[in-house]
Amino acid sequence: MTFGNNMKEALFSLKTSRWRSMLTVLGIIIGVASVVTIVSIGEGVRKQVEGQINILGSDTITVRPGKSVTRNSEGKIIDVNLLASQSNGSFSNNDYEVISKSKNVLVSVPFSKISAVAKTDEREFLDGNVVATTSELPKVLKQKVLYGEFFDDKNPNKNIAILGKKVAQELFNENVPIGKSLQIREEQFIVGGIMDNYANNPLSPSTDYNRTIFIPYETGKKISGGQTQIYQVLVVPEAIGLTDEVAKNITINLQKAHGNQEDFTVLKKEDTLAVTNGILKLLTSLIAGLAGISLIVGGIGIMNIMLLSVTERTREIGVRKAVGATNRQILNQFLTEAAILSLAGGFLGIIVSLVVDYAIALFTDIVPAITFPIMGIALVLALAVGVFFGITPALKAASKDPIDALRYE
Amino acid sequence: MSLIELKEVSKLYGFGDATVVALDEINISVSKGEFVAVMGPSGSGKSTLMNLIGLLDRPTHGSFSLNDRSVERLRTNQRAKVRRDTIGFVFQSFNLLPKLTVLENVALPLVYKGITQTRRLKQAGAMLERVGLSDREQFYPKQLSGGQAQRVAIARALVNNPHIIIADEPTGNLDSQSSRLVMELLADIHKSGGTILMVTHNPELTRYATRVVFMHDGDIIGDEQSALGQVPKLLKKTMYSLSRFSLEDDLAGVSVLMKTFPDKIEKQKARKKIQPKKRATKKRTAKK
Repeated sequence: MTFGNNMKEALFSLKTSRWRSMLTVLGIIIGVASVVTIVSIGEGVRKQVEGQINILGSDTITVRPGKSVTRNSEGKIIDVNLLASQSNGSFSNNDYEVISKSKNVLVSVPFSKISAVAKTDEREFLDGNVVATTSELPKVLKQKVLYGEFFDDKNPNKNIAILGKKVAQELFNENVPIGKSLQIREEQFIVGGIMDNYANNPLSPSTDYNRTIFIPYETGKKISGGQTQIYQVLVVPEAIGLTDEVAKNITINLQKAHGNQEDFTVLKKEDTLAVTNGILKLLTSLIAGLAGISLIVGGIGIMNIMLLSVTERTREIGVRKAVGATNRQILNQFLTEAAILSLAGGFLGIIVSLVVDYAIALFTDIVPAITFPIMGIALVLALAVGVFFGITPALKAASKDPIDALRYE
Repeated sequence: MSLIELKEVSKLYGFGDATVVALDEINISVSKGEFVAVMGPSGSGKSTLMNLIGLLDRPTHGSFSLNDRSVERLRTNQRAKVRRDTIGFVFQSFNLLPKLTVLENVALPLVYKGITQTRRLKQAGAMLERVGLSDREQFYPKQLSGGQAQRVAIARALVNNPHIIIADEPTGNLDSQSSRLVMELLADIHKSGGTILMVTHNPELTRYATRVVFMHDGDIIGDEQSALGQVPKLLKKTMYSLSRFSLEDDLAGVSVLMKTFPDKIEKQKARKKIQPKKRATKKRTAKK
């Protein structure tokens, strides 16, 4: 019997017990949809992070407090410490000066978090950050100022605030509140500019620049009593080829300042990519594994329904054998049926996850990415589940004794 | 040259004390073109014999050749292929697949031969025409009368051009009118050179056969050539003895045939007494 025949027979028999088939397929749909959705979210986040890192430029070096990676002797990252990257530690102004005065450093931009709540006469802005930084930030972040201008270095103590796009909308209820004033720690700030929308990185919400108010570094120092809490310094070397050297210089200098301890992390672009990819891969595979359990449950559903179907169709099997069907042909027939059930589940599951992903992209900052490899793997996985759980019922059907089967009522 | 050749064929079911002898060292050969009617009471081994010849079952002992080819040791898949190419089954309960149309049912054996759908349906259509049901092609089995369903089943049995048609009580579920139609059809197949093995309980139907085989307790106790249109002599006795068949006999479970062949059965019993060991393992099978 040809494959096409098997397909036709299988489709036909599934069609005649429509409800049962649909419910069975539902199990696989849920399994495939959850796995595909999770993997596509992981893939989407990875792409977003990668995009963001790429925006920084290939020569930008990130310096963060806390030792979040372990390197081997060749400088390759061999371990990532997740907790350290989320630690509360921060650099002091002194550290920042050490970094900025290292050899061959062209620009260094500090990101100093100020514990403050911005407010106007009407409302408060609670859902974001106040970051004190220097005038080079737009250049280093490759971020445009949409309206107005970023503050410059002429009057470092000026009370100017540059707003992220969402801050403008939520605090002032308008898109271009330039010239309006807001209060941070009893100090009046004038809005000097609005940043363009920033492509967000869902992994680290603390750097949601759309919800950030940027103020000049010196002003920030002043209102927080001379203290700084720098959680990140972005460094651009004088020339592209100097990245490795500058990273090394900064490491040596900071180590000196910190009593020869490496309690900070210097990351080049490829390091950052490796770290985020590592974290994402781990998380995605973990959750996808959990979702895979539902796929197994779906497979058990297929097995159950196929076993039932084999028993119900005992007489049919007997007739087919009497007219000359070999065991292998009976086996193939039932196996094809199971495979079609699971493949249909796979297809529909992918469609469901496309819908879910679209909804996720609409309502959150995450943009899931369903790629063709993900879809392909999902289909292969579904097929494998169908064949794996279909083989027992199919074998049962094939091994039925034709005489008993023909006598079966 | 015989089409079917069974030598010393036995079929046993079960083990040890529970062993049941369904067929007891049977010898029979059927030539091409014969129409054999197999008769006998329930449990006499008729169906077992048909299953063996139809390659649905394997003999426990003995040799069985089909078309001069020894088939008793064939493996399951080979048996399926020989079955597909040489045997056509007609069952008492028709055994049409309810979800397939009449045409698809007839085409079913060709599916396993790997013939393309267009050719399958064409051949099936031709077969349906032969049994006179061309206008029912797209009907489903439940929309047919019993006689029509059985004629469809015969078309299905014929579609592979089998060497042998095995019909296990083909008229068992039919009224006399439909029975006659079905039997005419079988007679037609026989006339055009087909070999038919038919199990029946109805002595009248042996008129269509050229040979009648009587079975009892797994043995062949009578084998008679009979002219077409005639009821064999042995059977006539059976029919005449019908009037002597009383309620007492019925309660005692004595079959008509046992009365017909008193001497044969006695002989058989005597033979079995000589071999007491063998007899201990033999019991009447409960199977039909």
